Amino acid sequence: MFEFLSDLFGSQIIAAFISAALPLVFIVPFVIFAVWLERKVSAHMQDRLGPMRVGWHGWLQTIADFFKLLQKEDIVASDTDKKFFNVAPYIVFAGTYLVFAALPFSSAYIGTSLDIGLFYIIAVSGLVVIGILMAGWASNNKYSLYGAMRSAAQIVSYEIPTAIVILSIVMFTGTLSLSEISDNQTAYFWNWYIFGGPDWGLTKFLVLPFMIIGFLILYISTLAEVNRTPFDMPEAESELVAGYHTEYSGIKFSMFFLAEYGNMFAVSAIVSVIFFGGYQSPIGYLGDALAANWLIPFEQLFWFAAKGIFFVFVQMWLRWTLPRVRVDQLMTLCWKYLIPYSIVNLIIIGIITLI
Amino acid sequence: MREYLKNTWLGIWTVLVGMKITFKHLFIPAVTIQYPDVKVPLPERVRNRLYVNMDDCIGCDQCARACPVNCITIETVKGLPTDDLGITSNGKKKALWVTKFDIDFAKCCYCQLCVFPCPTECIYMTDIYEFSEFKRNDLHYNFSTLSTDEGEEKKLNWEKFQAEKEAQKAAAAKQKAEKPAPEKKESTDKSKSAGE
Amino acid sequence: MNIYDIIFYLFAAITLVSGFFVVSTKNIVHAGFYLLFTLFGVAGLYVLLGADFIAIVQLLVYVGGILILLLFGVMLTNKITSVDLRSGTSYIIPAVIGVGILWGALTAVLFKTSWRSKAPSGMDPTTSEIGRLLITDYVLVFELLGILLLVALIGAASIARRDKE
Ligand code: SF4
Ligand code: SF4
Repeated sequence: MFEFLSDLFGSQIIAAFISAALPLVFIVPFVIFAVWLERKVSAHMQDRLGPMRVGWHGWLQTIADFFKLLQKEDIVASDTDKKFFNVAPYIVFAGTYLVFAALPFSSAYIGTSLDIGLFYIIAVSGLVVIGILMAGWASNNKYSLYGAMRSAAQIVSYEIPTAIVILSIVMFTGTLSLSEISDNQTAYFWNWYIFGGPDWGLTKFLVLPFMIIGFLILYISTLAEVNRTPFDMPEAESELVAGYHTEYSGIKFSMFFLAEYGNMFAVSAIVSVIFFGGYQSPIGYLGDALAANWLIPFEQLFWFAAKGIFFVFVQMWLRWTLPRVRVDQLMTLCWKYLIPYSIVNLIIIGIITLI
Repeated sequence: MREYLKNTWLGIWTVLVGMKITFKHLFIPAVTIQYPDVKVPLPERVRNRLYVNMDDCIGCDQCARACPVNCITIETVKGLPTDDLGITSNGKKKALWVTKFDIDFAKCCYCQLCVFPCPTECIYMTDIYEFSEFKRNDLHYNFSTLSTDEGEEKKLNWEKFQAEKEAQKAAAAKQKAEKPAPEKKESTDKSKSAGE
Repeated sequence: MNIYDIIFYLFAAITLVSGFFVVSTKNIVHAGFYLLFTLFGVAGLYVLLGADFIAIVQLLVYVGGILILLLFGVMLTNKITSVDLRSGTSYIIPAVIGVGILWGALTAVLFKTSWRSKAPSGMDPTTSEIGRLLITDYVLVFELLGILLLVALIGAASIARRDKE
């Protein structure tokens, strides 16, 4: 992509800026859509209607809200630690944005086809934690700080099962590159890793149940990493006002919002890449059937977005199903259940990979 | 160990049960009523914004006195014997100009206490409940049919009449013989207004 | 000046400026947060050197792990809600001597070494090579480090549980 752009503009600098800004083209519309979807899903699950009045079924509502947020006064309380208070939202968003650099949107577009994409994604999510800690601390508000501390503790703990599950997949696939993992699962849906990968044989059926367990663990722990209900301790409205972004308003608040929803998509995309074939179509390509090769990347983009949005929908579904867990329950789930299971899973998948 | 596995299974299973329930609700028609487009039919005898039918109001001030929050302000001026104020729908003759009849709906608590004492049943509840305003002063409703100028005029008239009567009385005390006739039906109307 | 130069100077500036702030600020939490930028800049420099694995390990271990623990430690051991956690300057003379020696050694190394420069040749994946080396040539060191970490873990757990007795 970068080469293509630098050829097009004849300048590496312009190309660098454009390719750096490209994920925004996806993130902003996605966030606008996801916020609307969240409100609609939550409403219909509670037998309500949700926003209805701005546009057809309120689809313009988030855009209106976005402009409202832009115009709002940017309030900075006088006792905050100004410098870090102002920087924190951007660091949180940068952490999210960096993840998007390595996501394979389709075979034609991937920010950087990193050889160690999975590893990279785990690493840069650490930036989000720092940003949250910074926001909570700089707000000089005890609720914000509690939220930030909880968030950091939660993300750090849940990174362990995530990493272990990803490790087992890496062992099974033999690569850390997201695009390679996606390419392995090409053609039909039974080649997805959740169904045991593309190789037919004994291993496929042996590994299948463990892949499903791995998927469950990964999904639960990524859910916790993005601070979504039932693991939304950091922003528990009923106890902490809004956690680490209590003191923020206007554009900075919308940065947190953007980061949260962007993160939701990022982790869903990772789950879909690892287990559900990423951008690969489950049922073959229309471009193949019509002998139109240029169609395939667009189809892949569609499948990638569709899978990502499906998992985002499941996150919302869970959010409106489950009540929030307590802090100790959160930690019990992580340390007493997810981690032992993922370690056992790792060992079993390792043994299966060997035979 | 068994306990542990059972717990795990229970956790997954109960989440799935919950998700099934919420998924079903996703397709249940919403109970929301799209308020400004669709309205719930109001029950009979709802208490909402008051209305005063000024044609029937005799300015007796009973409603204002009944009001627990004093949100009705009534000012009246006696009508001149020559004025024809009309008759209420239940046959009473009106004798007072109601120069001011204000209800402050920002204060009104919709208790309906003002409605019962009205002798002519001209103050009553309507079914209008959407009358919010941006300024509180806009909730101050003037029901009087007379404009301020007209009210002033009526007041002046009455004062003039009063003054003339005083003058007349004084004159009558001085010289009993004369018969100045400022207005025509003075005596009859005067007795009635005194009766009120 | 191509794009890589710009990126290099950018990361170098980030590293140096934030590094300066880390040592000059009196507020411990501020120093921790500035450290984020320093570590991040160093990771960027690693990337430019073609050491992608090291860069990401830098991010994962230092930013995602050590820095967070450091901030946690600072915030939990002090009055966390107060913005002004301060550290004074002490031992100026020993510090100056130590830093001077270190600086001298570093500059000496910098000028004495004959740097082998290699023409940039794209980004070669280094991960599998590192992995292979770790379990062949350096397997003993690798295992020893593993044991060391295990010992540290057990030690931490035992310290944390001591008050139960
Ligand atoms: S409804 Fe009650 S509060 Fe309102 S004007 Fe009548 S008596 Fe007063
Ligand atoms: S009680 Fe009825 S007639 Fe009397 S002043 Fe009130 S509205 Fe008019």
